[in-house]
Amino acid sequence: MKNFLLLLGGLFPLIASAGHAKDDWPEPVSDHYTGRVLFDRLEIARTNQHEQSAVWDMMAWYGGDYHRLVFKTEGENVQNDGAPTDIEKAELLYGYLVSPFWSIQAGVGARGELSSDSSFEHYAVLSFSGLAPYWFEMDNSLMVNEEGDIQLRSETEYEWRLSQTAYLQPRVEITANVTDSEKYRRESGLSNLRVGLRYRQEISREFAPYIGVYWNQALGNTADRLQREGRQTHETGIVVGARVWF
Amino acid sequence: MNNSIDPSRRQFVKSALTAASALALAKVAPVWASPQGRHFKDSVLATDEVNLTIARKPLLIGQKVGRPITINGQMPGPLIRLREGQPAKLNVTNKLMEDTSVHWHGIILPENMDGVPGVSYEGIKPGRTFKYRYDVQQSGTYWYHSHSGLQEQLGHLGPLIIDSKDGDIGADREHTVILTDWTFSDPNDVFRKLKVAEGYYNYHKRTLFDTFDDIRQQGLEKTWQEREMWGRMRMSPRDIADVTGSTYTYLMNGRDSRMNWSGLFKPGEKVRLRIINGSAMSFFDVRIPGLEMTVVAADGQPVQPVTIDEFRIGVAEAYDVIVQPRESKAYTLFAESFDRSGFVRGTLTPELGLEAPIPELRPVPERGMAAMGMANMKMEGMTEGSMSSMKSDMSTKQPLPVDNIQIDHANGGHGPGAAMIAKNPVSRLDEPGLGLENVDHRVLVYSDLKGAHEWPDTREPERTIQLHLTGNMERYMWSFDGKKFTEVDGPIQFNEGERLRLVLVNDTMMDHPIHLHGMWMELENGHYPRPRKHTISVKPSEKVSLLISADAHGSWAFHCHLLYHMKAGMFRVVNVS
Repeated sequence: MKNFLLLLGGLFPLIASAGHAKDDWPEPVSDHYTGRVLFDRLEIARTNQHEQSAVWDMMAWYGGDYHRLVFKTEGENVQNDGAPTDIEKAELLYGYLVSPFWSIQAGVGARGELSSDSSFEHYAVLSFSGLAPYWFEMDNSLMVNEEGDIQLRSETEYEWRLSQTAYLQPRVEITANVTDSEKYRRESGLSNLRVGLRYRQEISREFAPYIGVYWNQALGNTADRLQREGRQTHETGIVVGARVWF
Repeated sequence: MNNSIDPSRRQFVKSALTAASALALAKVAPVWASPQGRHFKDSVLATDEVNLTIARKPLLIGQKVGRPITINGQMPGPLIRLREGQPAKLNVTNKLMEDTSVHWHGIILPENMDGVPGVSYEGIKPGRTFKYRYDVQQSGTYWYHSHSGLQEQLGHLGPLIIDSKDGDIGADREHTVILTDWTFSDPNDVFRKLKVAEGYYNYHKRTLFDTFDDIRQQGLEKTWQEREMWGRMRMSPRDIADVTGSTYTYLMNGRDSRMNWSGLFKPGEKVRLRIINGSAMSFFDVRIPGLEMTVVAADGQPVQPVTIDEFRIGVAEAYDVIVQPRESKAYTLFAESFDRSGFVRGTLTPELGLEAPIPELRPVPERGMAAMGMANMKMEGMTEGSMSSMKSDMSTKQPLPVDNIQIDHANGGHGPGAAMIAKNPVSRLDEPGLGLENVDHRVLVYSDLKGAHEWPDTREPERTIQLHLTGNMERYMWSFDGKKFTEVDGPIQFNEGERLRLVLVNDTMMDHPIHLHGMWMELENGHYPRPRKHTISVKPSEKVSLLISADAHGSWAFHCHLLYHMKAGMFRVVNVS
C-alpha cells in the first residue's frame, strides 16, 4: 500500500512553479492529465470446434506525458460450457516514458478462473511497450509468479490503411516459458503462438466494428504435452467484434 | 467535409440574398465587416474609450447554432480602430464564469498591459473589469485575442487597426478580413483527442492503395526507399495540420462560404485588404483568381511593395495587400487551409449578391526529404519539388547569416519530448511552402519581404541564442529544446538594451508560427532594411535567424501560436532586465 501511494505521488507531482509568475497569479501553461479506456478487442469468437466465446482485451491509462497508471486486462468466457470466466491477465502498472516512442511499465498482475473456489495466480510484471520503427505497435512483458516461474509474452499489431476509415490489422502474440511449472502445468520453451487478422471499419474514430480470423498453435513441449493428453494443439476461429475507446 | 458546397445549395443561397435577407445576415456576423468598407479620410470610428464585454452566447455560425465567446455580442469581436500617437483606453469586462484576458497581438506596450495571465498580470476574474491604458506608438493591421486556456478557439478575438498619424491608408478603400477556424466541439475535447489518439482529425493519411499507385508510378525500389525512411522515423508525410476540416468550419469575418462575406469596390479603385489569420490551428493559402495582389505590409509593418498572386498566411500573421479590380464583376477571395481539408471564400464585388466561381481544393500535398532535414541528400522523385530549385539556387544565392551558424543539438537528442532531430537544418525562406512549390503563378516567400524603411536600432548583434522547436506527436508533447514550459527552471534571459540574434531550429515535421510578445523580430532574409515580424512561421527542418533589440523591460510570453501546441507546453517566458 505504501508503495502504491508513492507511485501515485510520482504520477501527480505538486504543480511545480516554473518560477515566472507572482505567487497569486495562475501559471500561463500547466501540465495536462487525462486518460483513455481502449477495448482493442471486444469480440465473439467461434472456433472450428463450434465453441462460442466472448473475448475482451482492454487497456486503460491515466496520467500525464511521462508518468502513467496503466491497467490491462484480457480474458474470455466460453459460452454454454458451465465453466467460469477465464481471466488471462489483469495487470496494474506504473508506466514511464523513457524515449519518444517507448515506455517501461512495472506492476502486479493476477490471472485464473473467476470462480469462488479457484485461487488466482499472482505475479509481478515488467513491460516494454511502444511503437517500433515501421509502425509496429508492441507490448513485451516479463512475468514472475509467486513460485518463481518466469514467462515472456510479446504482442505485436500492425495496421494497413485501406481507406481513411478502414483497416486490415494483423496481430501476433507469442508466449514462452523460461521455467517449467508443475502447479500451473507449463512447459519450458516457446509455448504458444496466436495469429489474427481483422478487417475493421470505423463508424467513428471511437467505435469501429470488425470481423476477423485467428489461428492458435501450441508449440514445443507444450504441444507435446497436449498431444499426450489427447487434446487439440491448434485451433482456428472467426471473430466478430468492435474496437471501442472513450 | 464541412466546407463542401453542393451546387443546388449555392443556388439557393444566391437567390435568397435579397436585401431583406442581407439584413438578417448582418445580425449574425460582426457589423464592422460591412460590405462598404472604409474610405480614405473617413472619420475614425473609434470612440475615445472602448468598452468590451466578454460573454458566452448562442450565435448562428455557418449553418448551425454554436456557443462562442462573444465580444460585445459578436464573434469575432468588434474592429477596434486606434490612432498612432494617441493613448489607448480599452476597458474589458468579464461576463464569463471563468477568468479571461485580452492580449493585443503585435502591439508595443508596457509589460503589465500585454494581457497574458501569469506573465503580465493575473488575468480578469469573472465580473471584473480591467482597464488597459497605453500609448499607441505604431500603425498598421493587428489583432487581439484571449490568452486564457483555449478561449481563442471559441472566437474570443477581433481585429485591431491602427491608423497612421495622417490617416492615409494608401488606397481608395479598405476591407479588414479575419480568418478563423470554428469547431462545434468543446476545445477541451479537441485537445484531449489530440493527446490520446494521434491523427484523430487527419483524414488524408496514406493508404495501401497510395502505396500501390506510387509503385506503379515510380517503381518498387523508390517507393520502398521512401516508405522505409518515413516508417523508420515513425512519421507521416501527410501529417500537415493537427486539427482539420473534419471538425473545423473555416470562417471569413465570422461567415462561412455559404454566407459568403462580401466586400464592395468600384471598378478601378485601389482596395486595401487587411488580412489577419486569427485561427487557432490553420494556415491558409490566400488568392483572388483574376487579380494580382501587392503586399504592402507584413504583420502590420510596412514592406516595399511585392506583387504576387497567392500568399500563405501562418496562424497569427497579418498581411496587407492592395488590389485594383478594373472590371465590374465579382472576384472570389479564396482561403484554402494548407492541408487542403477545407476552405472559406468571400467575394469582392461591385454590387451585393454577385459571386464568382469557387476554385477546386488542390490535391493533398506530401512532405518530402526537406522536411526531414535531408535536403542535401540526393533523393529523386520526392514530392516536395522545391528541392531541385533549392539546389540550383544555392550556388548563386548570397549566404544568409544563418547559413554560417552551426546548429548544436543537446547530447543524444532532446529527450522523450522530441521524436526527431533535423540532421541538417537549412534556410528555407525562399520556399513558398508545402503544396505551393509547383504552382504556375507567383507565391509570396519570406525572402521577398524588404522593410519599407530603416528601423531605429542598426547595431550588429552581440549575442546569439539558439532554440529548437521540438515535439512528440504520439503523446502530443510540444516544447522548446525538448522541455515543456512546466519542465524549465526559469525564463529565457535577455539583457536589457542588448541587441541579440535569435536562431530558431525546427526539429519537427510541422510548421510552427512562433510569436514573441513586446518586441519586434527582424527577419535576416538577406535584405536591408529587414522585414519586422511579430510572428514567424518556421518550416520543418528549417533554421531561421532574427535580430531583436531587447528594449522592453519585463516578462514577455514567447510561444508557438498553434493554440494546442502552446497549451501542450510550447511556451516560454522571456525576461528582459
